[in-house]
Formats: sequence, structure tokens, C-alpha cells
Amino acid sequence: MIEKGKISSLHLAMMMYPTILGTAVLVLPGMMAKYAKNDLWLSSILASLAGFLTVYIASRLHRLFPKETIIQYSQRILGTFAGKTLGFIYLFFYVHLTGIITREYADFIISMFLPLTPISVVITSMLLVAAMAVWGGVEVVGRTAVVFFPVFTIPLVFFVILVYTDLNPRNLLPVMEHGIIPVIKGALMPETWFSEFFLMSFFLPMLTDSEKGMKWGMASVTGVALTMVLINLVTLFLLGQEITTFTYPLMEVARYISIADFFENLQSVVMMLWVLGAFVKISVFFYAVALGTGQWLNLSDYRPLVLPLGFLVFLFSLWDLPNLSVLAHFQEKVGPYYLTSIQIVIPLLLLLIAVVRRRSRKAKEADRR
Amino acid sequence: MKRVLLASAVCLTVLLACGCWDRTEVNDLALVMAAAIDKKEGNRIELSVEIFLPRSQRGGGISGMGGEQGGAKGGGKATLVRSAEGVNIADALARLQEEVPRKIRWGHCKVYIFGEETAKAGIFEKVDFFQRHPEVRTRAYVYVSKGNASRILEVLPPLERDSGEVIRELSKLHVGMGVTILDLKQMLRGEGGAVALPMVDILSPRKGQHELETAPYLFGTAVFKKDKMIGRITQNETRGVMWLKNEIRNATVTVKEEEFEGSVSFHQIRATTKLTPKIERGKWKMHVEVKAEGDMVQNGTVLNPVRPEILGKMEKAFKDEIQNQLETALRTVQKKMKADIFGFAEEFHRKYPKQWHQVKDQWDDVYPKVEVTIDIKAHIRSPGAATHPAGIPEQEVKQE
Amino acid sequence: MRRNRRSSHIPASIIQGQEANHEPISASLSENEASLRSIYRNCFDAVFRPFSIGGKKRAQLVYIEGLSNVEEINDSVLAPLIRKNATDLCGIEEIIEKKISASSVRKVETIADCVASLSCGNPILLVEQESYALSLGLAKWKQRSIEEPSAEVVLRGPREGFIETLQTNTSLLRRIVKSPALKMEKVTVGIYTQTNIVVAYIEGLADQTLINEVKNRIQRIKIDAVLDSGYIEEMIEDSPGTLFPRVLSTERPDVACANLLEGRVIILVEGTPFSLIVPTTFFTLLQSNEDYYQRFTTSAAIRWLRYFFTMISLFLPSFYVAILTFHAEMVPTELLISIATSREAVPFPALVEALTMELTFEALREAGLRLPKQVGAAISIVGALVIGQAAVAAGLVSTPMVMVVAITGISSFMIPHYALGFSIRLLRFPLVLLAGTLGLLGIMIGMIAIVVHLCSLRSFGVPYLTPVAPLKSRELKDVLIRAPWWAMRTRPHLTGKYDKYRQSPGQQPGPTGNRD
Repeated sequence: MIEKGKISSLHLAMMMYPTILGTAVLVLPGMMAKYAKNDLWLSSILASLAGFLTVYIASRLHRLFPKETIIQYSQRILGTFAGKTLGFIYLFFYVHLTGIITREYADFIISMFLPLTPISVVITSMLLVAAMAVWGGVEVVGRTAVVFFPVFTIPLVFFVILVYTDLNPRNLLPVMEHGIIPVIKGALMPETWFSEFFLMSFFLPMLTDSEKGMKWGMASVTGVALTMVLINLVTLFLLGQEITTFTYPLMEVARYISIADFFENLQSVVMMLWVLGAFVKISVFFYAVALGTGQWLNLSDYRPLVLPLGFLVFLFSLWDLPNLSVLAHFQEKVGPYYLTSIQIVIPLLLLLIAVVRRRSRKAKEADRR
Repeated sequence: MKRVLLASAVCLTVLLACGCWDRTEVNDLALVMAAAIDKKEGNRIELSVEIFLPRSQRGGGISGMGGEQGGAKGGGKATLVRSAEGVNIADALARLQEEVPRKIRWGHCKVYIFGEETAKAGIFEKVDFFQRHPEVRTRAYVYVSKGNASRILEVLPPLERDSGEVIRELSKLHVGMGVTILDLKQMLRGEGGAVALPMVDILSPRKGQHELETAPYLFGTAVFKKDKMIGRITQNETRGVMWLKNEIRNATVTVKEEEFEGSVSFHQIRATTKLTPKIERGKWKMHVEVKAEGDMVQNGTVLNPVRPEILGKMEKAFKDEIQNQLETALRTVQKKMKADIFGFAEEFHRKYPKQWHQVKDQWDDVYPKVEVTIDIKAHIRSPGAATHPAGIPEQEVKQE
Repeated sequence: MRRNRRSSHIPASIIQGQEANHEPISASLSENEASLRSIYRNCFDAVFRPFSIGGKKRAQLVYIEGLSNVEEINDSVLAPLIRKNATDLCGIEEIIEKKISASSVRKVETIADCVASLSCGNPILLVEQESYALSLGLAKWKQRSIEEPSAEVVLRGPREGFIETLQTNTSLLRRIVKSPALKMEKVTVGIYTQTNIVVAYIEGLADQTLINEVKNRIQRIKIDAVLDSGYIEEMIEDSPGTLFPRVLSTERPDVACANLLEGRVIILVEGTPFSLIVPTTFFTLLQSNEDYYQRFTTSAAIRWLRYFFTMISLFLPSFYVAILTFHAEMVPTELLISIATSREAVPFPALVEALTMELTFEALREAGLRLPKQVGAAISIVGALVIGQAAVAAGLVSTPMVMVVAITGISSFMIPHYALGFSIRLLRFPLVLLAGTLGLLGIMIGMIAIVVHLCSLRSFGVPYLTPVAPLKSRELKDVLIRAPWWAMRTRPHLTGKYDKYRQSPGQQPGPTGNRD
């Protein structure tokens, strides 16, 4: 294990929460409402099942290979060549995804707040601070997440309270008007986000109390699911069917707050929260990339890789998607299959192979006796 | 160590050398307080904005020398109105910026007014601008003006700093309807297919005052079908509409019945309206439940309201008056104009989704036939601070 | 003999420090006297008093004037030894036992030890035909009286502060922690100053690795002089490249003892009243000892006020610049109008205005520190306001800016420890620059960078942001609020884990007797 630091499972849970939610609450309600209409909160609940599944798979794999991440144990399960190829696929996938996430965050900042600023400045500034965190190791990444966790969560709750008087709960009805199919269709997108819980597998080897890893992982999934439902409900109650017309629905909710003619137009405060959430997300992903690459290349330290990988992520974020519409299309149509297959399906297969192999080995040993 | 220093030095210089892109000094901003959209010939629109004029405050501060807001209220005008024409709002805005030396920012514009002609021609396109431009506040109020909208912006109201503020405060007092852009969007896309926007006009100036020293006021409501205005309803009818839409916060109900030989007024504290749709044997019905609670503020009769029997009679009169207002509104809007501005469609959709889907394309026919039953529970909490009617000698006060 | 080196360029005193360390005391009194005289040549305050013990044996008393207690020397040493009936004494042991009435007498065997002893003010007694000398514990010099430290004033609490004399400081510690578990180990650092440094800790509470690490780091310092604990601080701290202090310095013995009791190590440096406490965390630096003496409700409220104002002192100017220039729609309309009105006359952009005013305020503050007391008060607060007022009148800055700077300045005074306060004041400037370039995004990036940096710092192995990150929920009760004393049962984990509980359970106050 080239990472010498350790974190506790509570830290891990606190890390994963903004990692998933950081961009989820931004665009998801709009996209989900497109399919599920006013049942989008049900879709969130449905999608959280994927989260539980992912955490379970990651934990089981961790229990079979306690000190290794997927880059390493894929070689053990599938053999060196296939394992290395798979590892490379994962690295590419995560670099690509980190680039997309960074771009999504930067697009949000640019389109809503700083239209004239070149996007490369926004991307670079974020990647620089993320690189700083990754350079410090898993402990720094974990600790910053713990510091930012309450700063990210408490204002979210606060916003709900502030906008309370304008909410119209009757927007909830009718429930399941068109049956369960729209709910399932609407659940495809958040499921993509929940599958990102697989990142946990990069951190499980570094836990001080790894037996609690799964428990806290599940707790994190529950927290994320609850928050998503809450956000969905709040946006639904305020905006009704209009959710789909806004690119960033939660931003509209924040904009709508007006207390005593004084606290108004709080969207910039929401932006600040988003920067924090995005930072945690990007630093976690970036860390996984750096660590994974270090393991794949069998290096003794991943730190020299941080800057070059950062640059690579920068290129991906700039060149991959030309504009927001393509990004939205990617998230809607391609994302579910792309992310799910790599973060849920393949690990599940790996797990099955590993379990089968172990059983057959045990059977062979039992035979020998 | 040296490398770190070099890298950070490079970053720092890069950061500073390229300048700040989005920075706009507060004094380079034109703060738009209110905007008006009028129709011109050939499908063009005229966009007028009311810009706030800050006066400089040299020598202000702790010692207080140099005076306060430098004549912003006393001397010249506080606001400036500029107009420009264009194919649509965005186009007109671009031309408007050519006339205004500071960057126009919509972040503080809380009032948008459509001229009557524009409203009749259709407002879809304009609402798209409101939705798409990132600076437009979704919480801004929208109005329709009688006649031309830009003249509303030009008046100099004595109490507020600009005319837009006057109508906004009036909406907040719930004197008339208050429709935000979000509400407007929801109504436009709603199943009812009808929109209601409050109308504004200008008070005629009092004798001896300059013609611009007056203020706008809310008078009635404009009713739209889809996005075109089809008519207006009076302030009285608006009151009934507000009862039905659960927007009454602050109303005085005056009852004048022959039985009382005088008028009694109640100021209401609380009112809630609940709409319950029912489909019974193929007949669509809407049950309206109103709960109102009020205090008496003026008693012009000789009756003594402290007596429970008299108060009971007055309660009934209170209730009848509210019913009257509701029915007037329904008559005009439901039967005559056939515009579903009350949200009946949504209520039916919520409770009876299947039946709703069957008729939703013929809602224009079904809606006027919906039978509305009204049930009002009016409650008078107290006769106010006084007991007997004032000025009337004891023996003349009727006790029943 | 090594004395030939006297003709080389290196001064003899350095030689004696480096090479003559182990030159033993010879049996010949005149040789010893000669070597001491040559070491102390051109030092008029080195006094050599030859006398004979009991009229028969020759002896020499050497001391440094001003450092030794002359009356005691006369009474306890010279008088008994010169008296005639000491004729039959010959050995030094007997002299020590029977004649010298000084309370502490030590044998020294090398010239270097003699010099060390003399430097501390302890006179040296050389006797003919004895190959060791006696160092008498008769040091006394003029020192400052114990008074309340001016930089750490409390409303409630002890008012004693450390002074420059090491012995007094250690005695102050002992007066508070009477248990013999309080250990004090001495180290000497500094070639010219030979400063005595005491490392104090409570055995059984403090981690032995920590103690060893502290001692190692101090012992490896090779420096010519130590004038203040600040020198030591910079030489022993962890990552040197950061703005944030990782060592706490205090003038108060009660603060020192409170930290001792949480398993930390105190470093007392001779010649300065400022003691060093390691390890320390960010939150320790934000606490004041008065928090523990006032009631817990008061303290909790003041703590939160302090956190809030620390944030303000760091972020307010940058927020002002960012919101005004990038996010003007966030300001309530009325407020924006009055700010815009007051800024109409100002020729500078908000960024420049903010930086100029901040720099001016910092200059005023520093100037106020250096001015003599009578003039200082007049300049600092009143001066700032008057200058601000005049600047507004001249149209150079706007009134809101003066308010912002004033509030920022006042909030930075709320930080109890000057070192941390200064770091935060410095960090304000890059944040303002970032705010001027990228608005609120810039501030967030700056804040993230600061937090990342803080998370990576350690102070003698303890992560800087404990107990928030890594999360130690038991200790949060002393960070978020100040739990009442009957609830503070545990010591902080990372430093005090060897003795977890500091008080017995169930101490919540209530009436004695039946609790029905």
C-alpha cells in the first residue's frame, strides 16, 4: 500500500456524502422530473438501492483483499494481463469522469455567475487546490472533507427552512399517476450518481476500523438518499411542473428566498456551497486516480503523478464536451450505461469470480485432506 | 523549495496579469428598478426601464456635514426612464444599452409591467426572456397596465423611491393580486390554460400638483387565456378571485343590509380557502370551503354587537357578503370568460388523474359547467375595542 | 599546552567552550588562578579574592560581580574560613561539611564547569592542593517583580506572569503543580549565551516519545545565542514553511500548567518570560485561559463570538469587494443604493480601496505598538477613525469601506494569541486579491486552499485541526462550547491518553442529601 496515512470509517462516510451530492443536487431534479414528473422523489429512493448494492460489493471485495484496491486485486482475480488491462480501463474511466465532473462544475459557475471569465481559469483554480489536497495524502483529503461536511450540510437544511412559506405541498399529488415505469425511468440518472459510491473501494484499505466500513458506507448512502429526497421535494413543492424548465432547479429555489426584503438573491451563497461540494468530489476522485495510477505502475509513491494527472484531467475537461447540451445529453443517455457498467457490473463480476475461485480452492483443499 | 516558490510566483502573476473579467464596479452599474414592455407597430416591442440615480455623497459620514442623500428626493428626480425598440426583449435591451452608459443589471428589478396591447398580443416570448436570462429574478412581480406601460414608470411617487416599488408594496400588502414570474410560468403551463395578472393604472394627480407627482395603484385583474389577454375584471371581482385562490390576507368586508339600517365593517385576520373537487355520477363539482375570522372595525348601526344574538346576525351578514363576492367572481370568470384562473384543473388532476386525462383537451367546455358549492364559516372574534355604537344614547341602542 | 592557541584568531572564550572543556583543575592553585584569569581577562566584573583558610591553606574565591550574593559570600564563606580556629582542617570535604554555611555546594572538576558555574553567578572556591573546586550556590541578581503580563490580560484568574529568571519561573510552576510528578529537565543551548532551557512535563501524563522528541530537537540546536524563546520556537517547529504557529507561547503560569495537565510539554527559556507549549492545535490557539475561569455559559457564548469574529476578520474585506463588484444582486436593494450613493465620489475601484485602507490600518496598528505609551493610545483608535473620516471627506474612500476596515480591525483583536492573529491578518490580503479577481469563487478557492493547508499541518505529531479533523467527538465539547467543569471528565486523546480521566464521574452539582 503506497499510502501510509489512515482515516476512520466515519471520515469515509463524511467524505462520500458531499462526493455524491456535490453535483447531484445541482442538475438531477430537473433531469429526473423530465421522466418521473412529480414522482421524482420516489425515483431517488429507488436509485438508492444501487447505492446500497455498490457499497456491499465494494465491502465484500475489500474483505477478500483487505489491503488492496481494485487496480491490484483485479490482477489477482483475472491474472496479470487481464488485470492490468482492466486496471487501465478503470484509470481511464476515472480520469475521464473527473474531467467531466470538473467541467460540469465549471460550466455551472461560468453560466450563472462569472460569464466573462475563461473556463480554464475556473477549472485550473479548482484542480490546483484539489491537487494540493491530494498531495497531502488521504488524511488531508479526509480531513478537509470532515471540515467541509457541516459547512455543506447545514446551510442546505437552512435553505429549506427559509423557503418554507413558499412551498406548496400539494404539488406532490397525484402520486404515481402514470404507474411505476416513469419512476424507474427517472431512477436511471440518480442511480448513476449512486454508483459512484464504488470510489469507497479505493479508501477501504486505509481504514483504521475497517470492520465498520460497510456500516458507515450504508449510513452514507442513506444520508445521501434522504438528502436527495428532501431536495427533490423542496424543488417540487416550490417549482411544481416548472422544474424541468430550469437548468439548475435548486439554484432557483435559492434565488426565490426573500426574507424581510433583506435576505434576497442568495444564489451566490449557494454557489459557495457548491464549490465546497465540488471540491470534495473532485479531490476524492483525483485522489483515487492518483493512487490507482501509482498502484498500476507499481510505484512507491504516487505524489510525482499528481501534477501530470491534474493536467490530464484539465485536458479532458476542456476537450471532451463542447457545450452544455452535449453534457446534458451525455448525462442522460450515455452516463447510466457507462458508469453503471464500470462501477457496479464489473465489480460484481469480479466479486463473483473471486468468490467462486475461493470456494473451489477451499473445496480442493478439503478434498486433499 | 525553490521550485515551489517559482511555481507559485508564476501562478500569482498569471492571476493578476490577466485582469478580472467579470468585475463591474458598483458605480458602473445601472440598477433597473422596474421595466415596462409595450407593443409598437409591426410586432416590435418597446422596452422601458426605470434606472435609479445615485447622487454623490461627498463629505458625508460621521460629522454629517454635506447633508444626506444629496437631493435624491428633494431636488431632481430619483429615477430615470429610458426606452428602446426592438424585435424582442433581448434585441430591445441591446439597443437600450446603447443609450445608457452603465451596464444594465436586472438583479434588482422587482417589477415587470406589460402594456395592455402587448398583453392582448401574447406574452409567451417575453416570458421566455425572463426565464432564460440568468439575472432576472424569479421572484419579481408581473403586472399589466391599462394602456401604455411606460407611463407607469415615469411617475414620481412621494412615498416610495420609485413607482415600481409602489406597486410591489401594494402587492405585498395583498391589496390586489401579487403574481411572481414563477407563478406566471406555472399558470402559463398549467392545466387550466388561463392566467390572471393584476392591472395597474395611475392615480390622477391632486389639484395643484405636478402631473408626474402621483403614484400607480392596483385596479382590477387582467384575465388571459393561454397567453393572450381576453379581458379584465373589476377590483370587486378581484376580491372574489382572491378569496378563491386563498390569497386574502388583509381585507375589510363591509356589510350593508337593510335589516341593520347602516353599515358594519369587519377587518379580517385570518382566511383560508380549500378547494375540494368531486366527481359524482359524471357531474363535476368543486366544493369551496372558506374559513374567515375577523374583528369588527366600524359599526354604523344602532345595534349593540356585544350581545351574542346580534353578533350572530352580523356573522351571518359577514358570511353572506363573502359569498356574494365569491359568486360575483365566479359568474364573471367562470361562466362569462371561461378562464380557469382558480386552479380547478390542477385540483381535479391531483385527485382524479384518470378522469382528468379523458377530458383535458376539452377543459374549455367542461370548466364552465363545473358546479361550485360554497361553504363559508365566518367568525367574528370580537366587536373590537368598543362596545356600544358610538355617540348613540343608551336607550336607543337596540339589543336584539 | 593548549594555551599556545591564545595567539591565534579565535578568542579564548570560544576555545574554552570547544576544546578546553575537559581540562581538569590542577592541584596547583596558581595554575588554576592563572587559567581562570586568562579566560576572564578584560572582564572587570570578575573578582578574584585570595585568602587563606585558617591562616594556613591558601584559597581563592572567584565570582562575577553583580551575579552573586555578596553578603552571603562574606558571611557564609569568607568569614568562617578566614577565622583562625580553622587550623586543623585540611580536606575539602571537611570544609564543606563543617565550615561553609551555603545551602548548595557542588564539586566541579574541569575549568569549563568552573566557567559555567561562574556564568550562572555561583562563586568558585579554589583550594591549594585540591584538584577540584567548589561551586557555591550563592547566585543573586536584580530581577523584575512578578506582575500581570500586559499582553494576556484576564478579568478573572490569576494575575501572575513569568519573568526573565528561570528559577523564579520554575518556582511559579511548582507552586501550582505541587506533585513531584512534575519533572523539569535542563538543557543548555547557545554558545555565547549558554542559555538554560527547562523542559517540563508531568510524568505519566505526557507521552514519552513526545518528551524525547522535544529534548532531541532542542539539543540539536547549534546556535550562538538564544535571546528569546522565539529562537527556540523557530528551530524546533515542524513544517517551517507555513504562516500558522505550531507552538503556543504564553507568559502565564496558569496557562502553562493547564497544558501540562493535558499531557503537553512546556519549554522555559532563561531570559524571557515567554514559555513555549507543544504540541498545540489550531483550536488551542483560539482559546483564552479566561474561558475556563468564567462560567461555562458565558464562555461558550464568548467562544462562538470569537469564532465568528475570527471569520469576519479573515473574510470581511474580501466579501465586501467580491459582493460589490461581482454579485451586486445579492445586496438588498436599499443597502446597495446607499452604498452606491456613497461610492459615487470615490475615484478608485473597490479592490484598490480595500487594499489601501487595509494596509493603512495595519500600518497604524504597528505604529501604535511602537510608540511610547503616552502617545500610543491617541494614535491607534482615534487616529484610525479620524484618518478614515478625513479620507471620506476628501472623497478618497467611501464610508462603508471605513466601517468594513474598522470592524475587521476590531475583530482581529479578538484572537487571543498574537501569532495566530497576525497570520490571519496576513492571509486577508491574498484573499482580497482573489476576491477582486474571481469574486466569491476566488474567496472559496482561497478558503479551500487555507483549509487544505491547515489539514496537512502537524504539531509534534498532533494534527493541527484536532478535534474537528480527525474527528474526536469527545473533545468537541471543549471546542464548540465550553462544557461545565463537572462534565470535562476526559483529557484530549492525542496528548493525554495515558491518563484518560481527570476527574471522577457524577460531579454535577446539586443539593447534597436526598435527591428525591
